[in-house]
Amino acid sequence: MTTSTTVTIAASMRGGTKDYGSGDAAVRALDGLDVDIAQSEFTAIMGPSGSGKSTLLHTLAGLDRLTAGESWIGETQITGLSEDKITQVRRDKIGFVFQAFNLIPSLSARENITLPLDIAGRDIDPAWFEEIISILGLGDRLTHLPAELSGGQQQRVAVARALVARPELIFADEPSGNLDSRSGAELLGFMRRAVKEFGQTIVMVTHDPTAASYSDRVLFLADGRIVDEMREPTADRVLDRMKQMGH
Amino acid sequence: MFRLAVKSVRHNPKRLVLTAVAVALGVALAAATFTLTNALSGGFTKLFEEIYAGTDVIVEVDPDADPAEEDPFAATESVFTGADVDEVAAVDGVSSAWGGRQVMGSVLAADFEPTNDVMAGGGPPSQLFNWAGDPRVDQATLVEGDGPAADDEIVLDLDSAPNLGYAIGDTVSVATEAGVEEFTLVGLVRFGESNSLQGATLGYMTDARSAAINGDDGYEQISVIVEDGANQDAVAEAIGEILPPDTRAITGEAKAAEQTEAFDEILQYIDIFAIAFALIALFVGAYIIVNTFRIIVTQRTREFGLMRAIGVSGRQLRTMILLEALVVAVASSTIGIVVGYLGALGLSTLVEAFSGDIFGTVTLPLDAVLWGYSLGALVTIVAAIMPAIHASTISPMEALRESATESKKPLRLRNVVGGALTLLGVLAIVVGLYMDIERPYIPVGAGAMILIIGVTLLAAQVLVPLAYGLKATLTRIFRVDGKLAANNIHREPRRSANTAAALMIGVMLLALVATFTESMKSLVTEQFKGNSADFFVFSSQGAIPTGAIEVIEGEDGVAYVTSTGLGTVLLDGGTTNVGVIDPETADLAFDYNNEPDFDQMDGGVFIDPSMVEAGYEVGDELTLEGPEGTATLTVTGRYLNEGDAQVWIDEDTGHELLGDYPLAQSMVVLDDDVDAAEAQDQLLEALAVDYPLVVLQSPGEFEQLANQFIDLLLGIISAMLGAALVIALLGVANTLLLSVTERTREIGLLRAVGVRRRSIRRMIRIESMVMAIFGTILGMILGVGLGAALVRALEDFGFTTITIPWVWLLLYTISAAIAGVLAAVWPARRAAKLDILQAIAFDG
Repeated sequence: MTTSTTVTIAASMRGGTKDYGSGDAAVRALDGLDVDIAQSEFTAIMGPSGSGKSTLLHTLAGLDRLTAGESWIGETQITGLSEDKITQVRRDKIGFVFQAFNLIPSLSARENITLPLDIAGRDIDPAWFEEIISILGLGDRLTHLPAELSGGQQQRVAVARALVARPELIFADEPSGNLDSRSGAELLGFMRRAVKEFGQTIVMVTHDPTAASYSDRVLFLADGRIVDEMREPTADRVLDRMKQMGH
Repeated sequence: MFRLAVKSVRHNPKRLVLTAVAVALGVALAAATFTLTNALSGGFTKLFEEIYAGTDVIVEVDPDADPAEEDPFAATESVFTGADVDEVAAVDGVSSAWGGRQVMGSVLAADFEPTNDVMAGGGPPSQLFNWAGDPRVDQATLVEGDGPAADDEIVLDLDSAPNLGYAIGDTVSVATEAGVEEFTLVGLVRFGESNSLQGATLGYMTDARSAAINGDDGYEQISVIVEDGANQDAVAEAIGEILPPDTRAITGEAKAAEQTEAFDEILQYIDIFAIAFALIALFVGAYIIVNTFRIIVTQRTREFGLMRAIGVSGRQLRTMILLEALVVAVASSTIGIVVGYLGALGLSTLVEAFSGDIFGTVTLPLDAVLWGYSLGALVTIVAAIMPAIHASTISPMEALRESATESKKPLRLRNVVGGALTLLGVLAIVVGLYMDIERPYIPVGAGAMILIIGVTLLAAQVLVPLAYGLKATLTRIFRVDGKLAANNIHREPRRSANTAAALMIGVMLLALVATFTESMKSLVTEQFKGNSADFFVFSSQGAIPTGAIEVIEGEDGVAYVTSTGLGTVLLDGGTTNVGVIDPETADLAFDYNNEPDFDQMDGGVFIDPSMVEAGYEVGDELTLEGPEGTATLTVTGRYLNEGDAQVWIDEDTGHELLGDYPLAQSMVVLDDDVDAAEAQDQLLEALAVDYPLVVLQSPGEFEQLANQFIDLLLGIISAMLGAALVIALLGVANTLLLSVTERTREIGLLRAVGVRRRSIRRMIRIESMVMAIFGTILGMILGVGLGAALVRALEDFGFTTITIPWVWLLLYTISAAIAGVLAAVWPARRAAKLDILQAIAFDG
């Protein structure tokens, strides 16, 4: 394990608290959580169902708002920003890969990939686009509509879309959850390469120890708090740790 | 199954709201009309009952008299002499008999000033009669002062006298065809129980004066009072035996019933007219219903798949959807009927505030309820059939699919059917318009209907390339919002086409009417090109008095006046419209479309195209039988416009056949060196003495007047079509709303990757505008096409040019764009407000 002297923080949260519902029915999903996501690192968030891992991802990414506490994307504090400003932050600094339904059905693969740039009105960097496409092996699939792609191909298009705008951060929510093990391994391999080769920062929520083993650092969540973390994980070590947590 | 259907409606009522509103609006239109005509019928039934309340037996010209089925010239004739009245009075059981006659004239208001306004004499007419002094005969009771005893005395009804500015003792002026007559007001009368005259002025003068003004001492009818205890029917029969031919005796009760029936028949036409517009509205509504149910079925594919998996049969699913439709139909029809009734109630109150008591009690007639429910239910169920059949074919496997996938069925079948229907529709319209068949409106109407459905089906095919074509443009203007909007339109071509087509129907009818009316204006302009007359003479009430023409002719600077009279004669056993002109001057004042000119008439007749079609030709001998005489004449020429009069004769023949005939149009030609404006003032001044209701219109004024009437027509029809247009816009809103629900996850994803709310709203707005404009353009093409075809078909009536109403078309397009934006307000807001996380997790 190497120790880095200056770690740049890509995103962070202090005292993050999120309640759902109110009164007796209130559920606390995040309970005063502190976290820092280091730049150019592949961070996995794990935890049993209901531990708050999805909520953490959503609030960090500005898709949902904290009940209390603060969070930052890079230097920008997003708690307290207006909806429009947060949308702009998402557009300019964040990429997403969801478990399913990542693509707009009426747009071709190429149009889906360039969607974030189109929205922002930015130009495409052709060299970068070609590089992503060749790494992800999508060259002959660009004119197809999502319905004409396999599940693995669809997820790769989603990763390409997340990468193309060179966002500061990519948030992935169970990206391999719907894929067979081979396609899943392939996809996670691509994501790891993006971190290693391009210095991309990725935060991924998963409950699959094998998926988590592709990351640099695993955060374990329980009851809305970070209870442990693990560097350079392997699938076995993650599984052991999860068993301890009573998973 | 029924409980399941009700639960399903209650579970998600929002998506059915706009459908229900569409049905309710159409039903309300029908219900309101029925309520109003029913109330109007009630009001007039009361009036007729009061008119004939006191009279036991009425002796009058028999309207069914031979030889013609409807004897056209007997109706206003004075057929009874004083001797006839005495004879009727002598019949057993008759207590008294009174000869009645009406005087044509208008009571002028005290402050009346002659104006050159054709509308000055508008409004309800004056009803002037000879005074019997017996309330049972007059139907009026003296409430103040005395009855008219001397020939210069008059009584008026108690409401009109103060309205016109008269009190007892004042001098009352009455404009008659014989000039202005003056009277002293000596008394006030009340008509019937409550003086409900529907706005008319009622007046009575002495028998002698009325005969003098009419220039005829005959009577039009005889009112009979029977002796106490005598049987009215028996007396009527006894009188009938001594009557001259072609007259009859009828009891007052029977007469009132007859009049009511005749009036109700007229009201029926109003009902039919309104039902036609309600049907148009509901036809448009049907498009919305089809779309709504189609989308709902798609959205519930998994639910239906699950039901099929657990053993629900396809037939049961179909029944369930149709039951849902029925629930919607019953609920919305009920709302529609109630709204229609309340609307009618409000409207009748408003009308009565302005024009007095013309409605009876406003109640909800059974007709309104029956028509309301049957129209509402029929339209909804028929529209839901296709989606229901689609639902019944859903496979249980659908339940296992990840998300509702849109089946990309090819449009080929739709195109083939659409193309066939379009051709069939055009064919039917052509047959109706150009073939000489009876009741051409049946093939034309049916053809238009089929054409609309055909074009709706084809529209889906047109939309696909159109959306592709627009994609580049929209992307350039609106960037990614435009691209997404274009994609959304062509993704579901059927749905977009149906939505646009709903709007198409309304716009088509508007464009049709606009094309027709603008062409009509061209026709008017065209006709005025051939005009050399300086003035057209009108009477603002009644026919043009012959005396007024004499006054004009007597003025300096007038070269001549040429008049057209109208009448009816019998020809070979059928009634024929006849026009009377002065052959010497007619073609000098106005360039009639005839062959040769009228001055070649040579005492013969000219015939119009309908006569030529009936087999008559130049050189034939026609025997015309008029009320005053019969003449056998040679056909010496042809009048080339249809619809004015079937045969044309000169003035001498006119008098021989018709006696005094009413003048329909008179034209004044001035001497060459006379200033028209000065002459107009001079002539009006001369006319004001005896004929204050006669006005002179210059050709420019006349043309403007004609155009005003045409615009009014256009306005009324446009307003009636308003309901259909509102429904069509609801349809656009509805489709968008449902498709927003369908695209919830997609919109959530867009928001997640950084699309702003504003952009989402704009995307929906562009979709809406494109669909609205597309529907409008299709509608305009169809409407102008049909309008042009109609104008061509009416060539015989003088239509020469087809005028495309560019200004209106531009207006429609702009309105469509605005309407599109308005229709998108709610759906766009819904889409923009979607919560991102819920949207992503949405179980589509």
